[in-house]
Amino acid sequence: MKFLKDFKLAFAFFVFLSISCKEEKTTNPDLFDRTDFLKNMSDGLIKPAYNQLLTESEKLNNLALTFVQNPDSIQLNELQNSWTSAYSTWQKANAFNFGPAGEEGTRKSLLEEIAVFPVNEFKINSIVNGGSFNVNDFNRDARGFLAIEYLIFSSNGKQTSVLNSFSSPAKVAYLKVLTQHVYDRIKVVSDAWNGSFREEFLNNNGTESGSSTSSFYNEFVKSFEALKNFKLGLPLGKRPGQTHVDANLLEARYSGKSLQFLKLHIQNLNLIWNGKPFQSDVDGPGFKEYLDNVEGGKALVISSESQMNNVIKAANEIPVNASLAEQLIKSPAPLENLHTELQKQTRFFKSDMSSVLGIAITYSSGDGD
Amino acid sequence: MSGFIQKLSRAQSFVSNPVSAAPFVVLRMVFGLLMFAGTLRFLLLGWVEDHYLAPKFHFHYFGFSWIEPLPALGMYLVHFLLLMASLTFISGYFYRFSAIVLFLTFTYTELIDLTYYLNHYYFVSLACLLFCIAPKPSKSVIWPQFGEIPFWGIGMFKLLLGLVYLYAGLAKINSTWLLDALPLKIWLPAQDKLPIIGSLISHKWTPYFFSWAGMVYDCFIVLFLSWKRTRIWAYFAVIFFHAITGLMFQIGVFPSVMVGATLVFFSPGWHERILQKLKLFYENKLFLNNCINKDLKPKSSSFIPGFLFLFFIFQIVFPWRYFLYPGNIFWTEEGYRFSWRVMLMEKAGTAQFYVKDSKSGREGLVENREFLNAHQEKQMAMQPDMILQFAHFLGKHYAEKGVQNPMVRAEVFVTLNGKPSQLLIDDQIDLMKIEDSWVPKMWINRYEE
Repeated sequence: MKFLKDFKLAFAFFVFLSISCKEEKTTNPDLFDRTDFLKNMSDGLIKPAYNQLLTESEKLNNLALTFVQNPDSIQLNELQNSWTSAYSTWQKANAFNFGPAGEEGTRKSLLEEIAVFPVNEFKINSIVNGGSFNVNDFNRDARGFLAIEYLIFSSNGKQTSVLNSFSSPAKVAYLKVLTQHVYDRIKVVSDAWNGSFREEFLNNNGTESGSSTSSFYNEFVKSFEALKNFKLGLPLGKRPGQTHVDANLLEARYSGKSLQFLKLHIQNLNLIWNGKPFQSDVDGPGFKEYLDNVEGGKALVISSESQMNNVIKAANEIPVNASLAEQLIKSPAPLENLHTELQKQTRFFKSDMSSVLGIAITYSSGDGD
Repeated sequence: MSGFIQKLSRAQSFVSNPVSAAPFVVLRMVFGLLMFAGTLRFLLLGWVEDHYLAPKFHFHYFGFSWIEPLPALGMYLVHFLLLMASLTFISGYFYRFSAIVLFLTFTYTELIDLTYYLNHYYFVSLACLLFCIAPKPSKSVIWPQFGEIPFWGIGMFKLLLGLVYLYAGLAKINSTWLLDALPLKIWLPAQDKLPIIGSLISHKWTPYFFSWAGMVYDCFIVLFLSWKRTRIWAYFAVIFFHAITGLMFQIGVFPSVMVGATLVFFSPGWHERILQKLKLFYENKLFLNNCINKDLKPKSSSFIPGFLFLFFIFQIVFPWRYFLYPGNIFWTEEGYRFSWRVMLMEKAGTAQFYVKDSKSGREGLVENREFLNAHQEKQMAMQPDMILQFAHFLGKHYAEKGVQNPMVRAEVFVTLNGKPSQLLIDDQIDLMKIEDSWVPKMWINRYEE
């Protein structure tokens, strides 16, 4: 009996020890602080991206309102520039599709809600010809930034045809709805990050599935793969079964600015990886610093940076004087080259990084093998 | 020869020796409870949908390609049966029938997709199988309250647990685990927020300590559980070990299963006190199987000793089959499964499949997530037999889509224990021309240390 009593005491002591030890902080300064990393991501990258995006989309929305009252070529120009500016800023925010920008219930990720491409021309055309629509239905390929692009840019560059098309009340109405919708969706996310979600993000500082680091990392990799597969791969006709290139699958083909956005996307993924804040010159902790601190990480940093340089070089070698649509058909070699370099980068971002950092990819009864 | 026969008959009488049935009854109830809780958790997490219904493709176990998931209603029915069977199993009603249902339903769900193979699921299947042939407690003069059971009814579970822990320990005796403290050196820093462990992370010796402690624990725990003097402290270690690993890794119900199963090592007296507290006696119709007429009678008595002999010979020998394969077992994974290699390596891969139209020569890149969920993709990318299966699926799929005589190759980069990734397999070979078998896979590249 006494033995059992001792056992109970020892067990209680152990439990007490576990609880009290939870309060201890690691004092070793060399150990990477994940909370600092999350803070830099949140304050240096995510929030500035959404804040700027909100401002730009608000401007776009306002310009759309004034444009439709009196469509002329100057205002159309301003509208188009505003759109370009906003969509450029989107390239900063398109890798953060978790939390308030993630999928929940019937709401898809922010990316899917406001930036689906290619858009469905047939659907949009029927709407501007007087058809009904509902911004909350599943026709996401008739909404968002690229649907707006379809309405305000002409792929043959003729401004007059665009101006004339806005004599249609249905088209006017739809444009206003679309710009408002994009602004509204962004506002929800931006408000959350400026509100309580930031705290939640910083507190959830483990590496298990559902943790901030895991969600952030997984979306980062998804964004990289989307860049490679959807912005380049599919237009280049690289899926098995595709027999030729398809310029219809390009991002932003109506404005002809696909290359600009592609390069921005690459550049921003690189900034995120480095932890370099969007609006500051002071570098902060990113995946690079995280890797520097773990077993096998330094070697991965070297390989990753080296290959990323090849990617950026390949991107810069793509001619800027012709649209991607033209290049796909006439001279796809530089695009193919970029695709190949992105392909080579995949393992460094995907399996190597998650393995070395111990970040969970999925939630399931583990990889208990 | 007669000396041998004498030993054999002495052994036979030893294993048939009646002992108190209390440990068996408690084990049955605990195991049934774990099966119920585990199945309920599985259902509530929505994993029936995620694992069995949503995926377009399932990875088969070798020799079990005929196993397919049922449609939604069927799969939920199977899990409902699992729940019901665990309840009747706990109660002892229709005991043997419940054990058989448990074994068949659980093993069926496991065989659907190789992706979710886990050593502790394998253990659960084996335990269910043993329960199917376990002797029923019978009326006893010596133990009137709880009945009696031949020793082997309890001994076989102790032996199985002993083998599981011992092999898990032996698997840890390798230079990577002990001398490099890998993969714990990678896994522990990610746990810096845990109690106790978190504060130890900053020390360089921590992964080494945990690696050696883990190995020693696995190799010797069953011994210490078996000796009365060390039992209570050994069980304390069991709780501690499995609680810590349960916190550190996403390993589901594994800790609970081991903490529950190892109770079988406690003395009959200890179990009797538990049953007494719960007022569960042999005559209690609700909890101690008395439905003799309704249960399936066990087969003739010569079947069971033979079956158990083969069962344990298999358990002892099968884990050593990796010797028959060349190369680094962590890399090739030939002979890796079903040998209690638990949480032994950090491995991940990126697999890019290329499908070429033989007629036009045009080669395309496959988007894995079009067909696989994240979990499937992760497991596939580091296991050659799964890579091969997926390649064949892709060939068949794209042939149906119009690709002429598809040739499928895969560029698979794998990182092992934090080392720079290397190509796992020959990235030029046409995987459509290769069939899976037990013969060594010569298309797996050599691992460069």
